[in-house]
Amino acid sequence: MSARDKILARIRQNRPQASALPDIHAVPFIRYDNQFEAFATLIRNLGGDAVQLQDGQSVADVVAARWPDAGRTVDLTVAQHEEVDDPHAWHDVDIAIVPGQLAVAENATVWVSHPDNRFRSIYFLTQKLVLVVPREAMVDTMRDAYARIQLAEHGFGAFISGSSRTADIEQSLVMGAHGAMAALVIFV
Amino acid sequence: MKDDSVKHPQAAAEFLKDRAQAKWHDSAIWWVRQKRDAQAKQLPEWEELRRLAREIKAHTLSQLDDYLAQFEANAQKNGVTVHWAADADEHNRIVHGILAAKQVKKLVKSKSMLTEECGLNPYLEQHGIEVVDTDLGERIVQLRHEAPSHIVMPAIHLKKEQISELFHKELGTEAGNNDPTYLTHAARANLREHFLTADAGLTGVNFAIAETGGVVVCTNEGNADLGTSLPPIHIASMGLEKIIPKLEHLGVFTRLLARSAIGSPVTTYTSHFHQARPGGEMHIVIVDNGRSEILGNEDFYQSLRCIRCGACMNTCPVYRRSSGFSYSYIIPGPIGSTLGPSRDMKKHGSMAFACSTCGSCSNVCPVKINLHEQLVLHRKKAFDQNLLPAGKKMGLLAMRFLTQHPALFDLGGKVMRKVVPIIPESLTRHSAWSRAGRDVPPMPSQSFKELYQQRSKDKKDKEGQQ
Repeated sequence: MSARDKILARIRQNRPQASALPDIHAVPFIRYDNQFEAFATLIRNLGGDAVQLQDGQSVADVVAARWPDAGRTVDLTVAQHEEVDDPHAWHDVDIAIVPGQLAVAENATVWVSHPDNRFRSIYFLTQKLVLVVPREAMVDTMRDAYARIQLAEHGFGAFISGSSRTADIEQSLVMGAHGAMAALVIFV
Repeated sequence: MKDDSVKHPQAAAEFLKDRAQAKWHDSAIWWVRQKRDAQAKQLPEWEELRRLAREIKAHTLSQLDDYLAQFEANAQKNGVTVHWAADADEHNRIVHGILAAKQVKKLVKSKSMLTEECGLNPYLEQHGIEVVDTDLGERIVQLRHEAPSHIVMPAIHLKKEQISELFHKELGTEAGNNDPTYLTHAARANLREHFLTADAGLTGVNFAIAETGGVVVCTNEGNADLGTSLPPIHIASMGLEKIIPKLEHLGVFTRLLARSAIGSPVTTYTSHFHQARPGGEMHIVIVDNGRSEILGNEDFYQSLRCIRCGACMNTCPVYRRSSGFSYSYIIPGPIGSTLGPSRDMKKHGSMAFACSTCGSCSNVCPVKINLHEQLVLHRKKAFDQNLLPAGKKMGLLAMRFLTQHPALFDLGGKVMRKVVPIIPESLTRHSAWSRAGRDVPPMPSQSFKELYQQRSKDKKDKEGQQ
């Protein structure tokens, strides 16, 4: 008998008493009157920022105004974007502008799973991460989010909330652990 | 590696010798508990969330074999190779086999208590593979050749001065620069090099979704993501209890995990892995290592609902005042104190007594494990298996005799209340509860029972007068 079959047989033999699966939709969850405000207030404590694009403004304008001395910038929101043959080739990206499919008000996360991206390493190697999200693609809680997300990028998708951070040294919060040092969400 | 021969009372006494450090440890961890409370209070549905999480896990455990088989089939459909390990040795052999087949020289790892449990790092190092822990706290304890002292905050037992000294020696940072931002960014630069030159990445698993065959890993640092998006091999090691039935159930668990663990609304990255990056391969190792045995134990199987958030240790008055190294099992605090004795009562029995039975752990647990009740049941087992130190056993037997003879108990109390105040200090000085500067508390004139009877009588008299 293989390890697999032995393990499964022992689990079957040791099954605890039957227990029903609850309906997670039967419970009312929190709602936000102003989802953008909830999102934006929260992300500012998480090493990020959120803005709504104004009339006549472009994403590039907002990014350039925020980081005038940008290094290598890659924009995955355009159809003919730069591609690489090796995930390591993104190692020197300064600003990555990437599409986010959905934003969640309760925790300031953005769902990222882009069908037109080859190597996900760009999201984590970039120094500054810009997430571009349609302003109507906003939900209250993670329950609503999981009802809408698609795993569109080689079986990968991530909720990203602000910048990479750690408090492993004496509980002091430091932004920029391994991933992006700064995050900006632009609602368009 | 962790010293698994420690006994909690002696190790805790040692830890408490440095009063300033102990006080800092206590208050730093209590602060995390307070942050958790603040987050919980922002959600009116918090208690309902806990109930849902508990019920989802209870259901899953009741059909775990079916869900594991479903998970495996769906993972295979995604092109993932699934391995099964009955114990720690088999897990380590499987991981080494995957790495050896591709001549891997360097492995980057994100946080995984399972691989600590299995002793993976020393095993791989013996086979000539360089293992780099990449979570900052884990990296710190790895460089110090220590085990993590907390499951979420591995280096919470250290002060920044100690970390500065370590980084000066290991990473060449400025001597005496204790700034956490400076130190963190120095580690960032160093670990980036490792990420970019690693041949394989290994992660733990927070949740494994039966419906989709994928795994979810939550980190604040992004180390699991870098470690799996760069090298061509991703290995995910998971305990078999990590399964949840459907993707939608993450809508409950991702709302509870970071709020319970660190008092944040969510981790920076909640990443869903169903395939390797293009050109790569992904493996999932499902590990039993005693879990299926615990599943069959009516008293203790609920501990398998655990999502490893660490909230129970943050609230535990004993953990905060004794630190993770006072616990012999790799997982400390209340959850470790039930898992450890379930695994090996002889080795970890003392952990079940590192508990005031206050029940705070059970009240903060996001999946509502009856932690303090399990610890009491483990004490009974330790007693029945004759594993208590002689003095403790005698004390318990005397107490049992007394509680079975109420008249004697009353008399004993009466005598104690008279005798204790006149015992000379030289005799009490060496008791377990005493230390320099601490006096025997004043004795009340009446026992609780007498007070209670008096009170009932007074109340009755008062009612009679009206």
